[in-house]
Amino acid sequence: MFREVTFTDVGRLERVDDACAGFVMDEDTFRAFYDRTARGLWLYLSRVAGDRQTADDLLQETFYRFLRAQATYDSEAHRRNSLYRIATNLARDARRRSLTHPAANVAGHDIEGLSASEWRGAIECSADFTRAMSRLKPKERAMLWLAYAEGATHREIADVLGLRPGSLKSMLFRARRKLAGLLGRQESNDAAN
Amino acid sequence: MQPIECEFESEVLAAVVQSRWPGQVEAQLRDHVEVCAICADVAAVAGAIGNVRDQARTAVVVPDSGRVWWLAQLRTRQEAAKAAGRPITATQMIAGACGVGLLGACFGATSAGFQAGLRWLGSCLAGFDVPAELAAHGALILGMAGVLFLAPAVAWLVVRRD
Repeated sequence: MFREVTFTDVGRLERVDDACAGFVMDEDTFRAFYDRTARGLWLYLSRVAGDRQTADDLLQETFYRFLRAQATYDSEAHRRNSLYRIATNLARDARRRSLTHPAANVAGHDIEGLSASEWRGAIECSADFTRAMSRLKPKERAMLWLAYAEGATHREIADVLGLRPGSLKSMLFRARRKLAGLLGRQESNDAAN
Repeated sequence: MQPIECEFESEVLAAVVQSRWPGQVEAQLRDHVEVCAICADVAAVAGAIGNVRDQARTAVVVPDSGRVWWLAQLRTRQEAAKAAGRPITATQMIAGACGVGLLGACFGATSAGFQAGLRWLGSCLAGFDVPAELAAHGALILGMAGVLFLAPAVAWLVVRRD
């Protein structure tokens, strides 16, 4: 009910200027950070959200909210964890709004830009993997991707996903078991065919 | 209870991440993975995820960092301008009411005509039989009171929705 109050035009203009000058990070630092993290974050979002379009949208939104958060960070890892936490929350919200359709279009995008022989291998590998990943819960996908694609520690994963560090080990174990089972089943199906 | 971790797990993971698995690791570790379900899962899952990530990382196209920065600036400016242009707020309403009340008090204290008017109103009200008036015009009074309370509430809801 009590919105921020501005009484004069001068106050309004000052407020607009303050908001724009309010990013803690300067442009050069942001651009370097973005270049280091954007691709990895897109891949994470595409795996968790399950489709390319959503990953594109969420990537922009994540970096925008990261800039607007105006937080200060102790280290690069802290900054990165914060970015992934924002992304995870956005992906979860998007899923709740039923805007996403798990694992709809990721494989096709992942293999763009490969040579013909690589392409055939990649399409099989990626499609199988995507199919197996789509059978997991979003939280399991996020957990496995952070652990094995991003090399995050258990504490970092717990922090990003909002889980208790103590329970992460067993959750990761179960998710890994499940994915290994799904991948193994596909391999044996392929061998039988 | 089924074990959920193995002491060689991190070694297997390191070998997979550094692309040493399975050709460039000690035979002892390979033998262990054949009999250890946990390490076998780590090798399979980390290997699959690593392959997909490496293939995808080169192909993923993300917007230019300068564009993302510019869009963030633009959006912040738009949101700040929108917030600044919002209709009158509750705080402003309260401040306005206080101002009007203060002006009224000053006028009342200084104007002789106003004082005389107040005395006349007081004498009128003295002869006013409240229970009898309520019994005669109860529904009308209730309706007016309802409108008096409802109108500001409706106005506030409309402003809030905007």
